[in-house]
Amino acid sequence: MSKSNSDFSVVGKRIPKLDAAQKAMGRAEYIQDIKLPGMLYGRILYSKYAHANIVKIDTSKAVALSGVHAVLTGEDVPEKMKMGFIKDNPPIKKGKVCSFRDEVAAVAAISPEIAKKALDLIEIEYEEQIGIFDPEKAMEKDSPLVHGHLKSNVLKMPWDIHYGDVEKAEKESAFVVEDRFTTQWVTHCCLGTSGAIALFDANDNLTIHTNTQIPSLAQKDFLESLKAMGLENKRVRVIKPIIGGGFGSKLDTYAYEHIAILLAHKCRKPVKIAFDRVEEFKATSTRQPTIIYIKQGCDKNGKLTFRDMRMVLDNGAHTSWGATTPSVMLMPISSLYRVENVKYVAKCVYTNNTYSQAMRGYGNPQATFAIESSMDMLAEKAGIDRIEIRRINRNQSGDETPQGLKITTCGLEECIDAVEKELKFDGKNEKGVGTGIASLIHVGGGARIYGSDGCGAILKMDDYGKVDVFTGGTDMGQGLDNIIAQIVAEELGLLAEDINVVHSDTDICPWDVGAHASRSTFVAGNAALGAAKKVKQKIQKFASKLFDVPAEKIEFKDKLVFVPGDQEKSMPLGKLLRKAHFSPGGTMLMAEYFYDPDNQNMGKELKGNMSMTYSFGAHGAKVKVDEETGKVEVLEYVAAHDVGRAINPLLLEGQVYGGVVMGLGYALTEEVTVKDGEIMNANFRDYKLFTAKDAVKIKAPIIETDDKDGPFGAKGIGEPGCVPTAPAIANAIYDAVGVRIKDLPITPEKVLVALKKKND
Amino acid sequence: MRLPRFEYIEPINFEGALDLLYIHKDNAKVLAGGTDLLVRMKKGLLKPKIIISLKALKELSYIKKDDSYIKIGARTSIADIIASDLIKKEACALFEACEKIGAVTIQHYRGTIGGNILQDNRCIHYNQSAFHRSGRQPCHKDGGKICYARDASDRCNSTCQSDGATALMALGANITLVRKGTERIIDLDNFYTTDGIMPFAMESNELLKEIVIPIQGGKSSYKRLAYRSAIDYPIVSAGVFLKSSDTSKNEIEDARIVVGAIARAPIFLAKASSFLKGKKFNDISAFKKAADISMDNASTFAVHNVGSTLEYRCAMVSEMVFQALKEAAIVTQE
Amino acid sequence: MEKILITLNINDKPCEVMVYPNDTLLEVLRDELDLTGSKESCGEGVCGSCTIHMDDKPVRSCLTLAMEATGTKIKTVEGLAKGDELSSLQQSFVDHGAVQCGFCTPGMLMSADALLKINSKPDEKTVRKAIAGNICRCTGYTKIVKAVAHAGNSQDHCPDCITFSKAKE
Repeated sequence: MSKSNSDFSVVGKRIPKLDAAQKAMGRAEYIQDIKLPGMLYGRILYSKYAHANIVKIDTSKAVALSGVHAVLTGEDVPEKMKMGFIKDNPPIKKGKVCSFRDEVAAVAAISPEIAKKALDLIEIEYEEQIGIFDPEKAMEKDSPLVHGHLKSNVLKMPWDIHYGDVEKAEKESAFVVEDRFTTQWVTHCCLGTSGAIALFDANDNLTIHTNTQIPSLAQKDFLESLKAMGLENKRVRVIKPIIGGGFGSKLDTYAYEHIAILLAHKCRKPVKIAFDRVEEFKATSTRQPTIIYIKQGCDKNGKLTFRDMRMVLDNGAHTSWGATTPSVMLMPISSLYRVENVKYVAKCVYTNNTYSQAMRGYGNPQATFAIESSMDMLAEKAGIDRIEIRRINRNQSGDETPQGLKITTCGLEECIDAVEKELKFDGKNEKGVGTGIASLIHVGGGARIYGSDGCGAILKMDDYGKVDVFTGGTDMGQGLDNIIAQIVAEELGLLAEDINVVHSDTDICPWDVGAHASRSTFVAGNAALGAAKKVKQKIQKFASKLFDVPAEKIEFKDKLVFVPGDQEKSMPLGKLLRKAHFSPGGTMLMAEYFYDPDNQNMGKELKGNMSMTYSFGAHGAKVKVDEETGKVEVLEYVAAHDVGRAINPLLLEGQVYGGVVMGLGYALTEEVTVKDGEIMNANFRDYKLFTAKDAVKIKAPIIETDDKDGPFGAKGIGEPGCVPTAPAIANAIYDAVGVRIKDLPITPEKVLVALKKKND
Repeated sequence: MRLPRFEYIEPINFEGALDLLYIHKDNAKVLAGGTDLLVRMKKGLLKPKIIISLKALKELSYIKKDDSYIKIGARTSIADIIASDLIKKEACALFEACEKIGAVTIQHYRGTIGGNILQDNRCIHYNQSAFHRSGRQPCHKDGGKICYARDASDRCNSTCQSDGATALMALGANITLVRKGTERIIDLDNFYTTDGIMPFAMESNELLKEIVIPIQGGKSSYKRLAYRSAIDYPIVSAGVFLKSSDTSKNEIEDARIVVGAIARAPIFLAKASSFLKGKKFNDISAFKKAADISMDNASTFAVHNVGSTLEYRCAMVSEMVFQALKEAAIVTQE
Repeated sequence: MEKILITLNINDKPCEVMVYPNDTLLEVLRDELDLTGSKESCGEGVCGSCTIHMDDKPVRSCLTLAMEATGTKIKTVEGLAKGDELSSLQQSFVDHGAVQCGFCTPGMLMSADALLKINSKPDEKTVRKAIAGNICRCTGYTKIVKAVAHAGNSQDHCPDCITFSKAKE
């Protein structure tokens, strides 16, 4: 019998975010707010062309400017200092630039103003080359090359997957639909822009304060940079200040971090590089844009027979995690609904555009947009109700999908039910109004994309029953601190406020692969729980002697350690800890735990159970389409998720609401517009984020399936909120006015053109 | 983002401001709320040596009825206009336009009506960071000879996106411009030039003092289209004014249709306006026709430069005009 | 250009500070007076992260010259709480989960606080309008809207108001 929320005293409670008060008082320190003594300000000069040779750089005037401490060009960057997982991207480019985002020089000066002035004094002579901006054209044989030393613009990536027999299944299908979808560049728009402060001690050990979601992997990247700089066997300490939003943007190290390191080393002073909004748009990464070809079919009963998808990914000029998003796209493609025969081919193509990175959903929103739009088209073709076709094909607990994903718990059906309860899907809406539904699957129990998917936790108890937890996990506003505090408090019979969570300082905290893949609650939560259990055993052992009862009889609640039913045998935890500490041969109670989930790396065949469990969800949207202007108004929105267990429903809702509105922007208004490789709307005026007036109230039913592997049954929920939003909206628009928009974002002009076409 | 350096002067009265403008002319810029000016300066689009702040000139903040005119001081905040019953009743289009400007937090205190109607023309190619612009030849508005919005254009094609301007022009408003020793009144039709570089017929030593709206007993309306519900410029807008004849309340005696955010200046559409004369207030098909004429006439001036597609914005001229006409007609009949 | 000595009235305290004419109020607050609660996110008056009060009205401090702020009553997010005691609006933000990354929070609070001064029981629509000039990327606004509407206006049906009122007892 699984536990219900009433069995818990801290887990499942709506406990406000532990750092909310300091943030609400304006006391939280972000990178923008940190000033170190003697700190210099670094600034980066970017390319003026999408593709050009650098003929000459003259930095003499900048060097001569009063207040300038250092000027760097590509010549000053060690040969081996490169970024990205295929190390194709030096932090400052030498000889050639391949995108407007390419760094060509950097300075450090005593003020941001002087640094800017110095950049203006750097003279560069370029020789412009033909740029290539369309990935499909870049794939053609005679296309100009982005990188001359490569034979083709197509990257060598393993995305060519076939499970079952798609050709055969297609022949046997009763109904088949086929179409092309595209998704745009969008970007994270963290309100707090990027920044880092690097400083070296006298022994060349580096401390870097930086906005990162991956302290441990960043440390590794920076160590490699130091090595490239000839600084062997040095230490790197990565400290993450409070960050103004992550959403995946801080999952790789960026040029500015490596440049800050180079400048700090050259100047022997702390160097801060902090982006302004324009730079944030131009020099941080986007979500991977895609061109998607999808074909799928079903039998006469509506059961899916096959899914065949092909994608072209614009890799941009350099390679970051965007090129690996197919590894996650594969998950919905192979496993959203039961489908046995699956084919998926993705090509990543170099262009002279900006390069993509991780962004909330990591490829899943793109793939799900095509899959769920196509599901509605298939339902229509087969004459089956669109909710029904989803029920027929729904994933179920105990399934193993063609990719090898093991679905331990699945609340997809309940999610669909919850959406149907809130919205009408009978097609009987007033004119111009329609409803749409779309489902999702996402990793909910870690995601093994790296050698380790683990996270460490160190737990230390003081003399008063308070606990410090040093976690590898990263809080970036999502509330991991709370989750860990609540998990540990639950286990030790304490209150969340008794737990102090320390994170994101590599000198103090254990290793973690990073705050990504909606994994922190699950993985960092399990690590903290493991450590709490270890400490609990130690306390039980000590109390067992004290109370003279078997250890397993001892329980923890309301800050007491006690034997149920025996009032004599009860002691406040703090007192017990003091007894343990101040007795002869005393001890203080600490524990460490490293949790590495038992999930699998996908091998060469791209098969394997990448996550311990999977989160499911269904979103429903009710929209109104103005047929005169093409404007889409979202009237109602329901986002139901199977979250295993809500450790903290207050914060969980926050993740869902925020995800949904980010998804609505993706569906309707957001797009980084690019002209010949140059971003044209690098500001909040022209890049259209939703305002409070555009957003709607969202209902977020929570389905709890009590996953056996999750901490207290929980699964991850960071990303799902923005995964099926776009198809839910697209499907609702089709329901409302009968036009299917296949290219995101669904702008009024696209709707109007489609309406005209339909009516002609 | 840092502002470029300048000298800041805060005249204590209107005369003082005029004196300063007389002396400094092109070297000076007048700062009211700063929501347009300071952004342009931050982007390096403007580098005035001197900023003349109107901060102390409280005498320029007023809304009053004077005979058959509404007079609005140039420094009146957008919020004050929205809150004015007089404006709501006699100049509804201006009320509706002001409600759409920026967001509530911009409307009061910083955002002024003078600043709104004197906001510079915009273009996606021009309103870019200094660095973005530094990588290419300057455009007409930036002091060069190229237009990035329209190939081979020998002139600047930036667009006037002022909500206030379109509404006020529909209301037949004029403005009072003052320079040391003299003042002149100019109607908005003539004030907005068709020059994207210098969109106003205003000398550098002149100061906008007042906006004057005639009370004509008609009804007005303003509609606009933007991607967002707040902090957004319109991509098309329409202001209309309808007046019934003395003899029959159901007959249109005078009409003014103005479309904005589509061209170098708000455009008064004479043909579409005069088409409505003599038509009935419940003649929806006449409104449709007038809207279509508006679209045809306005389209020739339209430039692809403030987001969206040109085709869409042109099509929406008709829709916005139609909606505005319908609304003004309904209000009239109530 | 030389620096000029001005006096600003910030959070009910006079502050003498040397400024350049081109210093924005935001820069002076953050860099000269160490009041870093107000944030710069867009720098051009769109996002509202830098919102402060001038004479009780919300104003974007990134588009306000420090020189222009003389003679006005300035309030920043640091002035909302009484010492360590949160204002009811701040407390409501905390209780309703309206704070996530927190970067928009100071500006959001200042816009909301100004609304509550003129309308202590705003409905949802009024709140959305009042904070439409403040961009948030984390919350989807839902909880912020609720926090503002319920600040000092506790709702029986709201689980987060109940937590709050209980804690107060």
